[in-house]
Amino acid sequence: MAPNEPSRETPRYAQLFIEGLKAAGVTVVAAVPESLLAGVYRMCAKDNALRYIPVTNEAELPGICAGTYLAGKKAIMVMENSGLRQACEPIARFAYCHAMPLVMAMSFRGEWGERNWWGHNHAQTMEPVLNALRIPFRFIARLDDIKPAIKKAYYHADSSNWPVAMVFTGECVEVPAYAKD
Amino acid sequence: MQRIEAIRHMAQVITKDDLVTTSIGQTWDDWWNHKPADNTFFTGILGSVTPTALGLAVSLPHRRIIAIESDGSVLLNTGVMCTLGKERPHNLTVVVIDNGIYENIGGPPTHTSFNTDLARMAEGAGCLNCVTVRDADDFDRHFRRMLDDGQMGYLVAKIEPFAKHQWEWKDRKATDGIEDKYRFLRYVEKLEGVVIHPGAVQN
Repeated sequence: MAPNEPSRETPRYAQLFIEGLKAAGVTVVAAVPESLLAGVYRMCAKDNALRYIPVTNEAELPGICAGTYLAGKKAIMVMENSGLRQACEPIARFAYCHAMPLVMAMSFRGEWGERNWWGHNHAQTMEPVLNALRIPFRFIARLDDIKPAIKKAYYHADSSNWPVAMVFTGECVEVPAYAKD
Repeated sequence: MQRIEAIRHMAQVITKDDLVTTSIGQTWDDWWNHKPADNTFFTGILGSVTPTALGLAVSLPHRRIIAIESDGSVLLNTGVMCTLGKERPHNLTVVVIDNGIYENIGGPPTHTSFNTDLARMAEGAGCLNCVTVRDADDFDRHFRRMLDDGQMGYLVAKIEPFAKHQWEWKDRKATDGIEDKYRFLRYVEKLEGVVIHPGAVQN
């Protein structure tokens, strides 16, 4: 935890997320931190069993995860759904040029009721981009679905030699302050 | 210094126990003809050569990892310098073959032909052992040191634009990206004694 960062209660979704990663054998978490999965990034940074690699730009993530896969280990790339657009080119190249399994988790900015004007474009473009890249994806909205979804994501990616995406929303992300009333 | 000289020096030092990633471009053909084994992942993605090497380095800390980069590839994804500067993987050496041009497409200049200094950028990003070399002897000396000093290294090799050595078609890299993945993956499986990509499960 960074100096002066206030301690906060660990949210249940983040606990389950980390448990799911460990159950799947993940050792490397590469991410561009954002607000909706804030608990995940905080826990990863404190967990000695995970190599947490925060990066400057989502375009770094596919390479780090591919390198981890080629080393015989498991990695996940975590970001907001806006990061999908930023990472599009390396994702596409790893998929189409190298048949590389990649597992990505993204928060669903722009969910129904979004009150930030800048957040809607993330939701509006996410599914078309995933479909254009022909990346299978699932929305994860219930706490009970987190761990099974992560486990199956690795099965799906590894057996298909292709990226997969989990989109976290509902109970599985932070509740924005404006949505608490 | 010509690019092929840097490649030949690296080939004398890199062993079958090391793992390598390389940038797309004519360097591929040079390294294809000098690589000691299928221990190279020919990364078909500008900007992802160093990130892939970083993933290998943090996951296999006991093994030497070398990223053979190009100026064009590094310039496409400079943010990863900062990630390297934070992580500082002790077993990673990045070598940037910097000819100052996009040679594959006829030679328009990259920014390193003007005011951009990649070694100083890497140093400012927090990377360790950031050095620029211009002749083969310096290249060899620094490369050997970086491989064995137990710290990350960032070696920028300024080479002459427009390589004199050109490979005949029959000697150019023959594999595509999917074969490259499997060759490398199977090599790592044997090297590390692990299974990365098993066959299908039954039923």
